[in-house]
Amino acid sequence: MASTSYTLFSLCSSFNAHCKISPTPSVSKPLAFTKPNFSSSFNLPQKLCFSSSPSLPQSATVPKVSQIDAPAVAESEPESPPAATQIVEVAKEEAPKREEIFAVVMVGGRQYIVIPGRFLYVQRLKGTNVNDKIALNKVLLVGTKTTTYIGKPVVTNAVVHAVVEEQGLNKKVIVFKYKKKKNYRRNIGHRQPNTRIRITGITGFENYPAVTLDSIAKSS
Amino acid sequence: MMNKKEILKLAKGFRGRAKNCIRIARERVEKALQYSYRDRRTKKRDMRSLWIQRVSAGTRQHNVHYGHFMHGLKKENIQLNRKVLSEISMHEPFSFKALVDISREAFPGNRHIYHRPRKVDMSSMDA
Repeated sequence: MASTSYTLFSLCSSFNAHCKISPTPSVSKPLAFTKPNFSSSFNLPQKLCFSSSPSLPQSATVPKVSQIDAPAVAESEPESPPAATQIVEVAKEEAPKREEIFAVVMVGGRQYIVIPGRFLYVQRLKGTNVNDKIALNKVLLVGTKTTTYIGKPVVTNAVVHAVVEEQGLNKKVIVFKYKKKKNYRRNIGHRQPNTRIRITGITGFENYPAVTLDSIAKSS
Repeated sequence: MMNKKEILKLAKGFRGRAKNCIRIARERVEKALQYSYRDRRTKKRDMRSLWIQRVSAGTRQHNVHYGHFMHGLKKENIQLNRKVLSEISMHEPFSFKALVDISREAFPGNRHIYHRPRKVDMSSMDA
Protein backbone atom coordinates (compact mmCIF):
# COMPACT_ATOMS: atom_id res chain seq x y z
CA MET A 1 0.00 0.00 0.00
CA ALA A 2 1.28 3.47 -0.65
CA SER A 3 2.76 4.93 2.45
CA THR A 4 1.74 8.44 1.79
CA SER A 5 -0.29 8.78 4.93
CA TYR A 6 1.94 11.48 6.29
CA THR A 7 1.89 13.94 3.45
CA LEU A 8 -1.35 15.40 4.62
CA PHE A 9 -1.35 18.91 3.28
CA SER A 10 2.03 19.13 1.65
CA LEU A 11 2.46 21.75 -0.99
CA CYS A 12 1.51 20.41 -4.33
CA SER A 13 3.40 20.99 -7.48
CA SER A 14 0.70 19.38 -9.52
CA PHE A 15 -1.77 22.20 -9.51
CA ASN A 16 1.26 24.30 -10.31
CA ALA A 17 1.02 27.87 -9.40
CA HIS A 18 -2.70 27.67 -9.46
CA CYS A 19 -3.62 25.78 -6.38
CA LYS A 20 -1.63 26.85 -3.36
CA ILE A 21 -2.28 26.04 0.24
CA SER A 22 -4.22 28.97 1.47
CA PRO A 23 -4.88 29.59 5.11
CA THR A 24 -8.46 28.56 5.52
CA PRO A 25 -10.87 31.19 6.71
CA SER A 26 -12.70 29.46 9.51
CA VAL A 27 -15.83 28.33 7.68
CA SER A 28 -16.94 30.60 4.90
CA LYS A 29 -18.28 33.83 6.26
CA PRO A 30 -21.95 34.21 5.40
CA LEU A 31 -22.44 36.94 2.87
CA ALA A 32 -24.86 39.70 3.64
CA PHE A 33 -26.76 38.79 0.53
CA THR A 34 -26.20 35.85 -1.73
CA LYS A 35 -26.38 36.03 -5.44
CA PRO A 36 -28.44 33.30 -7.09
CA ASN A 37 -26.76 29.93 -7.24
CA PHE A 38 -25.57 28.81 -10.58
CA SER A 39 -25.06 25.13 -11.13
CA SER A 40 -22.21 25.54 -13.45
CA SER A 41 -21.01 22.08 -13.88
CA PHE A 42 -23.13 20.48 -16.57
CA ASN A 43 -20.97 21.71 -19.35
CA LEU A 44 -21.86 20.12 -22.57
CA PRO A 45 -19.04 20.81 -24.97
CA GLN A 46 -18.91 24.49 -25.85
CA LYS A 47 -22.20 25.19 -24.17
CA LEU A 48 -23.08 26.01 -20.62
CA CYS A 49 -26.48 24.92 -19.43
CA PHE A 50 -27.79 26.10 -16.12
CA SER A 51 -30.02 23.18 -15.44
CA SER A 52 -30.30 21.90 -11.93
CA SER A 53 -31.52 18.42 -12.78
CA PRO A 54 -28.64 16.00 -13.01
CA SER A 55 -28.23 14.51 -16.44
CA LEU A 56 -25.86 11.74 -17.29
CA PRO A 57 -22.80 13.32 -18.81
CA GLN A 58 -20.87 11.94 -21.71
CA SER A 59 -17.68 10.27 -20.73
CA ALA A 60 -15.09 12.81 -19.82
CA THR A 61 -12.80 13.86 -22.61
CA VAL A 62 -9.10 13.88 -22.01
CA PRO A 63 -8.72 16.98 -19.91
CA LYS A 64 -6.59 19.90 -20.92
CA VAL A 65 -3.35 19.44 -19.06
CA SER A 66 -2.38 23.03 -18.84
CA GLN A 67 -2.67 22.84 -15.12
CA ILE A 68 -0.83 19.67 -14.39
CA ASP A 69 2.81 19.64 -15.37
CA ALA A 70 5.06 17.94 -12.89
CA PRO A 71 4.50 14.24 -12.37
CA ALA A 72 4.97 14.66 -8.66
CA VAL A 73 1.54 15.05 -7.18
CA ALA A 74 0.67 15.55 -3.57
CA GLU A 75 -2.51 17.26 -2.64
CA SER A 76 -5.60 15.85 -1.01
CA GLU A 77 -5.32 14.05 2.29
CA PRO A 78 -5.20 10.27 2.29
CA GLU A 79 -7.59 8.00 4.09
CA SER A 80 -5.28 6.81 6.81
CA PRO A 81 -6.22 3.93 9.06
CA PRO A 82 -7.14 5.03 12.57
CA ALA A 83 -3.76 3.97 13.89
CA ALA A 84 -1.92 6.52 11.81
CA THR A 85 -4.15 9.46 12.60
CA GLN A 86 -2.12 10.27 15.70
CA ILE A 87 1.03 10.78 13.69
CA VAL A 88 -0.87 12.69 11.07
CA GLU A 89 -2.37 15.05 13.63
CA VAL A 90 1.02 15.84 15.13
CA ALA A 91 2.55 16.48 11.75
CA LYS A 92 0.10 19.13 10.78
CA GLU A 93 -0.93 20.80 13.98
CA GLU A 94 0.55 24.06 12.87
CA ALA A 95 -1.79 24.22 9.86
CA PRO A 96 -5.27 25.65 10.41
CA LYS A 97 -8.06 23.18 10.99
CA ARG A 98 -9.56 21.99 7.75
CA GLU A 99 -12.44 19.69 7.04
CA GLU A 100 -10.96 16.35 6.08
CA ILE A 101 -12.91 15.51 3.04
CA PHE A 102 -12.26 15.54 -0.64
CA ALA A 103 -14.35 15.25 -3.74
CA VAL A 104 -13.83 14.66 -7.41
CA VAL A 105 -15.87 17.21 -9.29
CA MET A 106 -16.32 17.77 -12.98
CA VAL A 107 -16.17 21.36 -14.16
CA GLY A 108 -15.69 22.68 -17.63
CA GLY A 109 -15.30 19.21 -19.06
CA ARG A 110 -12.42 18.43 -16.75
CA GLN A 111 -12.26 16.59 -13.46
CA TYR A 112 -10.57 17.96 -10.40
CA ILE A 113 -9.91 16.71 -6.92
CA VAL A 114 -11.10 19.44 -4.59
CA ILE A 115 -10.84 19.96 -0.89
CA PRO A 116 -12.49 22.77 1.00
CA GLY A 117 -10.46 25.88 1.51
CA ARG A 118 -8.36 25.66 -1.60
CA PHE A 119 -8.79 27.43 -4.85
CA LEU A 120 -8.83 26.13 -8.33
CA TYR A 121 -8.56 27.49 -11.85
CA VAL A 122 -11.28 26.23 -14.15
CA GLN A 123 -12.52 27.17 -17.57
CA ARG A 124 -14.28 30.50 -17.68
CA LEU A 125 -17.77 30.22 -16.24
CA LYS A 126 -19.94 32.46 -18.33
CA GLY A 127 -22.57 34.50 -16.64
CA THR A 128 -20.99 34.52 -13.20
CA ASN A 129 -19.52 37.49 -11.46
CA VAL A 130 -16.96 37.87 -8.75
CA ASN A 131 -18.15 36.74 -5.32
CA ASP A 132 -20.92 34.60 -6.71
CA LYS A 133 -21.72 31.43 -4.90
CA ILE A 134 -21.53 28.43 -7.12
CA ALA A 135 -22.92 24.96 -6.63
CA LEU A 136 -21.17 22.25 -8.56
CA ASN A 137 -23.40 19.28 -9.08
CA LYS A 138 -21.31 16.79 -10.92
CA VAL A 139 -19.61 15.16 -8.00
CA LEU A 140 -18.10 11.88 -9.03
CA LEU A 141 -16.58 10.72 -5.80
CA VAL A 142 -16.52 11.92 -2.23
CA GLY A 143 -14.03 10.69 0.32
CA THR A 144 -13.76 11.28 4.00
CA LYS A 145 -11.40 9.86 6.55
CA THR A 146 -13.31 6.63 6.92
CA THR A 147 -15.68 6.26 4.00
CA THR A 148 -15.73 6.69 0.28
CA TYR A 149 -18.80 7.45 -1.76
CA ILE A 150 -18.22 6.31 -5.29
CA GLY A 151 -20.66 7.75 -7.74
CA LYS A 152 -22.11 5.82 -10.65
CA PRO A 153 -21.50 8.11 -12.32
CA VAL A 154 -22.53 10.87 -9.94
CA VAL A 155 -23.03 10.89 -6.20
CA THR A 156 -26.68 11.88 -6.05
CA ASN A 157 -27.52 15.08 -4.21
CA ALA A 158 -23.90 15.81 -3.50
CA VAL A 159 -23.00 19.42 -4.03
CA VAL A 160 -19.70 21.20 -3.88
CA HIS A 161 -20.09 24.82 -2.88
CA ALA A 162 -17.64 27.33 -4.19
CA VAL A 163 -17.21 31.04 -4.53
CA VAL A 164 -15.97 32.76 -7.64
CA GLU A 165 -12.89 34.74 -6.77
CA GLU A 166 -11.66 36.19 -9.95
CA GLN A 167 -12.06 35.83 -13.68
CA GLY A 168 -8.87 36.27 -15.58
CA LEU A 169 -6.78 34.89 -18.36
CA ASN A 170 -4.22 32.17 -18.48
CA LYS A 171 -0.63 32.86 -19.29
CA LYS A 172 -0.05 33.72 -22.90
CA VAL A 173 0.97 30.96 -25.25
CA ILE A 174 2.49 31.86 -28.55
CA VAL A 175 1.02 29.85 -31.38
CA PHE A 176 3.65 29.92 -34.05
CA LYS A 177 3.03 28.16 -37.32
CA TYR A 178 5.85 27.73 -39.76
CA LYS A 179 6.40 25.83 -42.97
CA LYS A 180 9.94 25.60 -44.16
CA LYS A 181 10.96 26.84 -47.59
CA LYS A 182 7.46 28.08 -48.26
CA ASN A 183 7.72 31.45 -46.65
CA TYR A 184 4.82 30.73 -44.35
CA ARG A 185 4.88 32.11 -40.84
CA ARG A 186 1.99 32.88 -38.57
CA ASN A 187 2.45 34.28 -35.13
CA ILE A 188 -0.59 34.33 -32.83
CA GLY A 189 -0.80 34.93 -29.13
CA HIS A 190 -3.48 33.25 -27.11
CA ARG A 191 -4.75 33.68 -23.59
CA GLN A 192 -7.41 31.30 -22.49
CA PRO A 193 -9.97 32.81 -20.13
CA ASN A 194 -10.25 31.13 -16.80
CA THR A 195 -12.05 31.53 -13.51
CA ARG A 196 -10.61 31.07 -10.09
CA ILE A 197 -13.01 29.54 -7.63
CA ARG A 198 -12.50 28.81 -4.00
CA ILE A 199 -14.10 25.70 -2.58
CA THR A 200 -16.07 26.32 0.55
CA GLY A 201 -17.73 23.05 1.30
CA ILE A 202 -18.91 19.64 0.22
CA THR A 203 -22.37 18.53 1.26
CA GLY A 204 -25.20 16.21 0.47
CA PHE A 205 -23.45 12.90 0.13
CA GLU A 206 -24.49 11.32 3.41
CA ASN A 207 -27.35 9.23 2.13
CA TYR A 208 -25.46 7.60 -0.65
CA PRO A 209 -24.30 3.99 -0.38
CA ALA A 210 -20.78 4.21 0.92
CA VAL A 211 -17.75 2.04 1.14
CA THR A 212 -16.31 2.14 4.60
CA LEU A 213 -12.86 1.41 5.85
CA ASP A 214 -13.93 -1.72 7.70
CA SER A 215 -15.52 -3.30 4.67
CA ILE A 216 -12.36 -2.72 2.68
CA ALA A 217 -10.23 -4.20 5.41
CA LYS A 218 -12.48 -7.24 5.53
CA SER A 219 -12.37 -7.80 1.81
CA SER A 220 -8.58 -7.63 1.53
CA MET B 1 8.17 37.56 -32.29
CA MET B 2 8.10 40.92 -33.90
CA ASN B 3 11.32 42.66 -33.15
CA LYS B 4 14.80 41.85 -32.02
CA LYS B 5 14.18 42.54 -28.39
CA GLU B 6 11.33 40.10 -28.17
CA ILE B 7 13.25 37.40 -29.96
CA LEU B 8 16.24 37.76 -27.70
CA LYS B 9 13.93 37.61 -24.73
CA LEU B 10 12.55 34.32 -25.94
CA ALA B 11 16.07 33.08 -26.57
CA LYS B 12 17.13 33.18 -22.95
CA GLY B 13 18.98 30.09 -21.89
CA PHE B 14 19.89 28.99 -25.36
CA ARG B 15 23.29 27.62 -26.09
CA GLY B 16 26.17 29.59 -27.46
CA ARG B 17 25.55 32.49 -29.78
CA ALA B 18 21.89 31.61 -30.14
CA LYS B 19 21.12 33.64 -27.08
CA ASN B 20 23.07 36.71 -28.11
CA CYS B 21 23.21 37.16 -31.84
CA ILE B 22 19.98 37.96 -33.55
CA ARG B 23 20.57 36.05 -36.77
CA ILE B 24 21.20 32.79 -35.00
CA ALA B 25 18.70 33.47 -32.28
CA ARG B 26 15.91 34.05 -34.75
CA GLU B 27 16.36 30.61 -36.25
CA ARG B 28 16.57 28.90 -32.90
CA VAL B 29 13.58 30.73 -31.54
CA GLU B 30 11.50 29.80 -34.55
CA LYS B 31 12.45 26.19 -34.01
CA ALA B 32 11.66 26.44 -30.33
CA LEU B 33 8.23 27.86 -31.04
CA GLN B 34 7.51 25.11 -33.54
CA TYR B 35 8.47 22.53 -30.97
CA SER B 36 6.27 24.12 -28.37
CA TYR B 37 3.33 24.08 -30.79
CA ARG B 38 3.89 20.40 -31.49
CA ASP B 39 4.54 19.51 -27.89
CA ARG B 40 1.44 21.17 -26.54
CA ARG B 41 -0.30 18.39 -28.36
CA THR B 42 2.06 15.61 -27.40
CA LYS B 43 1.98 16.71 -23.77
CA LYS B 44 -1.61 15.60 -23.57
CA ARG B 45 -0.67 12.19 -24.91
CA ASP B 46 2.31 11.88 -22.60
CA MET B 47 0.35 12.79 -19.53
CA ARG B 48 -2.35 10.30 -20.34
CA SER B 49 0.22 7.59 -20.82
CA LEU B 50 1.76 8.51 -17.48
CA TRP B 51 -1.57 8.31 -15.73
CA ILE B 52 -2.25 4.93 -17.26
CA GLN B 53 1.10 3.66 -16.05
CA ARG B 54 0.34 4.86 -12.56
CA VAL B 55 -3.12 3.37 -12.46
CA SER B 56 -1.74 0.12 -13.80
CA ALA B 57 0.90 0.04 -11.10
CA GLY B 58 -1.74 0.68 -8.50
CA THR B 59 -4.07 -2.02 -9.68
CA ARG B 60 -1.34 -4.60 -10.02
CA GLN B 61 -0.67 -4.19 -6.34
CA HIS B 62 -4.13 -5.65 -5.96
CA ASN B 63 -3.59 -8.32 -8.60
CA VAL B 64 -5.70 -6.72 -11.28
CA HIS B 65 -4.64 -5.69 -14.75
CA TYR B 66 -5.21 -2.14 -15.90
CA GLY B 67 -7.34 -3.23 -18.84
CA HIS B 68 -9.61 -5.36 -16.69
CA PHE B 69 -9.84 -2.60 -14.13
CA MET B 70 -10.98 0.00 -16.63
CA HIS B 71 -13.41 -2.45 -18.18
CA GLY B 72 -14.96 -3.09 -14.80
CA LEU B 73 -15.25 0.64 -14.12
CA LYS B 74 -16.92 1.33 -17.41
CA LYS B 75 -19.37 -1.48 -16.78
CA GLU B 76 -20.27 0.08 -13.49
CA ASN B 77 -20.64 3.46 -15.16
CA ILE B 78 -18.00 5.09 -13.02
CA GLN B 79 -16.74 8.01 -15.03
CA LEU B 80 -13.60 9.01 -13.23
CA ASN B 81 -10.91 9.89 -15.70
CA ARG B 82 -7.38 8.62 -15.68
CA LYS B 83 -5.88 11.73 -14.24
CA VAL B 84 -8.01 11.54 -11.15
CA LEU B 85 -7.62 7.78 -10.91
CA SER B 86 -3.87 8.12 -10.93
CA GLU B 87 -3.98 10.69 -8.15
CA ILE B 88 -6.34 8.57 -6.09
CA SER B 89 -4.12 5.54 -6.57
CA MET B 90 -1.22 7.51 -5.17
CA HIS B 91 -2.77 9.37 -2.30
CA GLU B 92 -5.95 7.57 -1.34
CA PRO B 93 -5.07 3.92 -1.12
CA PHE B 94 -8.28 2.87 0.53
CA SER B 95 -10.54 4.64 -1.92
CA PHE B 96 -8.52 3.07 -4.68
CA LYS B 97 -8.90 -0.35 -3.16
CA ALA B 98 -12.64 0.21 -3.07
CA LEU B 99 -12.59 1.04 -6.76
CA VAL B 100 -10.54 -2.05 -7.53
CA ASP B 101 -13.00 -4.20 -5.61
CA ILE B 102 -15.94 -2.75 -7.51
CA SER B 103 -14.20 -3.40 -10.77
CA ARG B 104 -13.28 -6.90 -9.75
CA GLU B 105 -16.88 -7.79 -9.07
CA ALA B 106 -18.10 -6.20 -12.26
CA PHE B 107 -15.76 -8.06 -14.50
CA PRO B 108 -15.59 -11.81 -13.98
CA GLY B 109 -12.24 -12.06 -15.74
CA ASN B 110 -10.68 -10.50 -12.69
CA ARG B 111 -10.99 -13.65 -10.68
CA HIS B 112 -7.70 -14.83 -12.08
CA ILE B 113 -4.88 -13.73 -9.83
CA TYR B 114 -1.94 -12.23 -11.65
CA HIS B 115 1.45 -13.57 -10.62
CA ARG B 116 4.40 -11.29 -11.03
CA PRO B 117 7.28 -13.10 -12.73
CA ARG B 118 9.74 -13.87 -9.96
CA LYS B 119 13.42 -13.12 -10.37
CA VAL B 120 15.38 -16.34 -10.57
CA ASP B 121 18.65 -16.51 -8.71
CA MET B 122 21.18 -17.37 -11.40
CA SER B 123 24.09 -17.90 -9.08
CA SER B 124 22.86 -21.33 -8.09
CA MET B 125 22.88 -22.57 -11.66
CA ASP B 126 25.79 -24.47 -13.13
CA ALA B 127 28.18 -22.56 -15.35
